[in-house]
Amino acid sequence: MTVGVHVFDTMGTTVSLRFADEVAAASVLDGIEAVFREFDHRFSLYRADSELSRVARGDLSLTRAGAAVRSAYADALDWARSTGGAFTPHRPDGVVDLSGIVKAQAMDAAARVLENAGEAHWMLGVGGDILTRGTFHGQPWAAGVVDPDDRGALICTIGFTGTRRALATSGTAERGEHIWRTGGLAQPHYRQVSVWAGDIVTADVLATALLAGGPGRCQEMLDRFDIDVVAIDDDGSITATPGLQRARGLMPA
Amino acid sequence: MRARALVLGILSSTAVLAVGWQLGTQGETQPAPDAVAASTAGTSTPGTPTVTPDATSTPAPSASASAAATAAPAATPTPTVAGGVSGTFTGTSVQTRFGPVQVQITVADGTITDVTALQLTDKDQRSVSISNRAAPVLRQEVLTAQSANVQGVSGATYTSDGYLSSLQSALDQAGL
Repeated sequence: MTVGVHVFDTMGTTVSLRFADEVAAASVLDGIEAVFREFDHRFSLYRADSELSRVARGDLSLTRAGAAVRSAYADALDWARSTGGAFTPHRPDGVVDLSGIVKAQAMDAAARVLENAGEAHWMLGVGGDILTRGTFHGQPWAAGVVDPDDRGALICTIGFTGTRRALATSGTAERGEHIWRTGGLAQPHYRQVSVWAGDIVTADVLATALLAGGPGRCQEMLDRFDIDVVAIDDDGSITATPGLQRARGLMPA
Repeated sequence: MRARALVLGILSSTAVLAVGWQLGTQGETQPAPDAVAASTAGTSTPGTPTVTPDATSTPAPSASASAAATAAPAATPTPTVAGGVSGTFTGTSVQTRFGPVQVQITVADGTITDVTALQLTDKDQRSVSISNRAAPVLRQEVLTAQSANVQGVSGATYTSDGYLSSLQSALDQAGL
């Protein structure tokens, strides 16, 4: 069984692009690398010369930033509204940080490059976020959700069927907290949240929002958005929505 | 308590829940505030919340495939001696990601005891529950990335990029 894999580093992480058959033409791969490079140059706060870094330093006013930056910021504000503030593009120090949304938007843009090139069967993995189209030789593309306590093990595996094409995971494993939580320390927390959705921006943003909002905000998100969730609590117990309760590796309690 | 949280959750997208909140604060026998009709304008036609004296026997709401709500027949609430309103109240239909949705609340003594979202787009025009809840699950088998026959891995972003990349890299190199 053939599989074409194209791997490259960008945005501080690694992109793994798989094709069910042959790897796409070099021009298509170049186009995809260019998409990620462009997002990185514009939005990375790790690059002093990025447009967003200039905004963060106050060298450039947000209203004078390019259309792409303003559009991404507007999208992030929309998500802040629709998640009741659980997702936010503002760091506690006031700096606009769009890293919670731009990786997924870059993946979306890469998906358009692939679709325009007529590529129908692929899986795009970027730093733990996964977006798929079509099948892997007739079988659903499959991804595993990593166990935060045993990084070589998987909590479950998920087959990408129907309209659920994207999976994103947020967590606090290893290097401690990177999400600014809402609700204070006394609230119950999730250690890791995976969101399975129709598109990668929804999956990524809501994984972040659920990790920040915790179990207390979960039902609200499930009522508002068409998603499935598998989450691990502070004490290691796992909860899942009906669409994932019987994912391979899990069974209803 | 859970019902209250659920009300909060749906409140922003389903204006019909104004019924529930109004009920929580108002007097004994006025279950159909006009504010409901006003707040749902734009997505649905004003409808009168249905009041069923018996909370367990709820009539199926009139279904409509379009965003327009079908006004349900009004009934009389059943005031109780304890002073609060009791009954089942069905709000007007509003447009949501599920299609037209109606929310039904059960009230005992002026307190919301249950909130159910009804979807009206079932092909048989029946109302169906749309609730999606996270429930406890157990691990059934030990899975490893090496043996689970997966092409990708999803883990905590930002914090574990190095590890995830190496795990994904192993899968990539194995050509799985």
